[in-house]
Amino acid sequence: MVFRPSPSSCRDFITSLTSAVGSSLIVLSLPAIVTARAEASAARRSMAALATLDDGEAAELAAIAARIIPTDDTPGATEAGAIYFIDNVLGSSRAEELEPLRAGLASLVASARSKYGASSFRALDPDAQDALLTEVEDTPFFATMRFLTIAGTFSLPEYGGNRDGIGWNLIGFEMQHMWQPPYGFYDAEYAREGR
Amino acid sequence: MIRQATFPTREAVDFVVIGSGSAGGIVAKELSTAGFSVVVLEQGPWLGPEDFKHDEWAISQNEGFVWGRRKGHPQTFRKNENEKAKIVEGGGLGYAHNVGGSSIHFSGNFWRLRPVDFQERSLHGAPEGSTLTDWPITYEELEPYYTRVDWEIGVSGLAGPWDPPRSREYPCPPMPIKSTGVLLERAARSLGYTPYPAPVAMLSTPHNNRPACMHCGFCNGFGCEFSAKSSTAVAMIPLALNTGRCELRTGCTASRIETDESGRVTGVVYWDESGNEHAQRARAVVLSANGAETPRLLLLSASSRFPNGLANSSGMVGRNLMFNCGASAVGIFPEPINAYKSVPVTRVVHDFYTFNPALGLFGGGGFTDRSPSAGRPMGAALAGGRFSGARWGSAFKKGLAEEFTHTVAFNAHATSVPMARNSVSLDPDVKDKWGRPALRTTYTNHPMDFEVMKFFRDRAVELMDAAGALETIGSYSENGQTGGVHLLGTCRMGTDPATSVVNRDNRAHDVPNLFMVDGSSLVTSTRGQPTMTIMALAFRAADRIIESARRGDI
Repeated sequence: MVFRPSPSSCRDFITSLTSAVGSSLIVLSLPAIVTARAEASAARRSMAALATLDDGEAAELAAIAARIIPTDDTPGATEAGAIYFIDNVLGSSRAEELEPLRAGLASLVASARSKYGASSFRALDPDAQDALLTEVEDTPFFATMRFLTIAGTFSLPEYGGNRDGIGWNLIGFEMQHMWQPPYGFYDAEYAREGR
Repeated sequence: MIRQATFPTREAVDFVVIGSGSAGGIVAKELSTAGFSVVVLEQGPWLGPEDFKHDEWAISQNEGFVWGRRKGHPQTFRKNENEKAKIVEGGGLGYAHNVGGSSIHFSGNFWRLRPVDFQERSLHGAPEGSTLTDWPITYEELEPYYTRVDWEIGVSGLAGPWDPPRSREYPCPPMPIKSTGVLLERAARSLGYTPYPAPVAMLSTPHNNRPACMHCGFCNGFGCEFSAKSSTAVAMIPLALNTGRCELRTGCTASRIETDESGRVTGVVYWDESGNEHAQRARAVVLSANGAETPRLLLLSASSRFPNGLANSSGMVGRNLMFNCGASAVGIFPEPINAYKSVPVTRVVHDFYTFNPALGLFGGGGFTDRSPSAGRPMGAALAGGRFSGARWGSAFKKGLAEEFTHTVAFNAHATSVPMARNSVSLDPDVKDKWGRPALRTTYTNHPMDFEVMKFFRDRAVELMDAAGALETIGSYSENGQTGGVHLLGTCRMGTDPATSVVNRDNRAHDVPNLFMVDGSSLVTSTRGQPTMTIMALAFRAADRIIESARRGDI
């Protein structure tokens, strides 16, 4: 992707850089600047208003999504912005899931409090989060969160998630409308060897 | 610009065709081309290339083409008549609700039947408890119509000694082989089988003013943005409308077929998109609503003269439902396969088309090379964890990255044994958005089905191992099938009015001016790829209907 920021987004970029990395700007190499700019762009979007969930709910569900498709050596549901997809569909095609999800979340937070004395799921460390999710992984609540997290990571970006095709990149899928042989290793070999 | 006819509802047209899918699209084109006036009722919209996006969320997850509970069309399922049917979540009897029907979103595997399919009972007997019987027509009678499907609908393939006899070559050469096909072909050869290029209803080269496939990969479950997939929406409907004698009414749902005191059909009552009721008068009706909706509409059209449903003196309307048995092996390989690119299938193996009698099995089937998740990223992720065993977390994520590009499925597609107890009927409690009784499925596989599926699962695993998979997972429906997308046998064709619903020309035994033309007519299940036969039968039925109409015999 080529970044050609408009003057206003340049201003946002500088603003976010100023707050994020401050005086270290001068030591960034060019590729790093491009990366930082992309992250700044994501950060800007992440401040977009939620349509359905309140900030606290969104932060909790995003923390769950981040354990389903974690950020490790590659980006995960967080970078894909899966929570924006989730917020979008809970206000539209999956509106019937909103209240059951809220109830499931309340129950999860109650467990976080009783077992770890935490005020929220997101306040826990990842190991504790995984332990809590493992306890509920056969519940409809977890099934819904898994479904929505995956859908939000791999759907068309126009639904709010899968930003910059992060989900697709993760699994090696390229969204194209035309392909030509060879498609893979074995048909390339077949074309060379005739069998 | 298409100049579509418009007909007033109060004046009888020659034919109302209910459904514009694989069969209805062909019948509408044939009848209007022959000079008859035709009104086609289609409950869904006419979708075009601009609608056919690579959008899994809308199309696969939100009933884009296949309507269900979310769109006001719940279905119910029970295993047998002693159970109370429950509402199904997803699945059920699936078909695409749009002009072109399921030919819009199918994978387009166009396998002709072989002579054996038409005479299987005579040749091999019937499994105990089944209603298996011979067809009232033969392969030789249907062959010219298969050839018309090849040329008029558009099929790519390679004729060879592996095929049943054909009167003409394919119009288009086979699709380029994918890595999935290479793996199946090599494995099959190493085991002494005869793999060959898959015949598919997609254009490998331009044909009939339609362009060639661009190999975008979004075939199975999606519509073709290039019109290279041979749906009746692109291959037939425009020709029908261009005659100036055919009117296509989309968003129109048939509610009942009307009859008079003499027992003849007089027209069709339907709702338009806004829910307004209309009645189109007609001299004859062709019901091509598919193997689920055709029997349902006949049952919904019961009257004092036809108390058990229209055309149902045999009690066979809705019975003998068949889905096709299946099995699969998924393998993971060291190098990239990228099964998500291009068409769903490039090779077939038909060495088990008819079982060796020594096996003690009935029927047969064939193999195809596939993506394990139809090449869909979201679908693959939702099903992910096949090899990693993890359903979420870092191990799940790592597994997805390895599985999506490096796996292949060898799928088996096979016969189902017909049984009178397996049926489509009207649910006594659940209603759809129109207030009609919901589709109720009653289904328990014949014991032979399980033996056949297990046999094919084992052969698929052997093929996968022979292909050199690092790991292989075989599967079949061990708990029995509860739905499907091949909806067959529910108004079976036959010579005896006591045991069949339509005669050898697709005319209802009980009603002289009513014809059922779709998957419901199929006497046997096919080897898992019924659409080409549904289309060939539609061309043949149209010929017979035209002949009868011209004779004044309707």
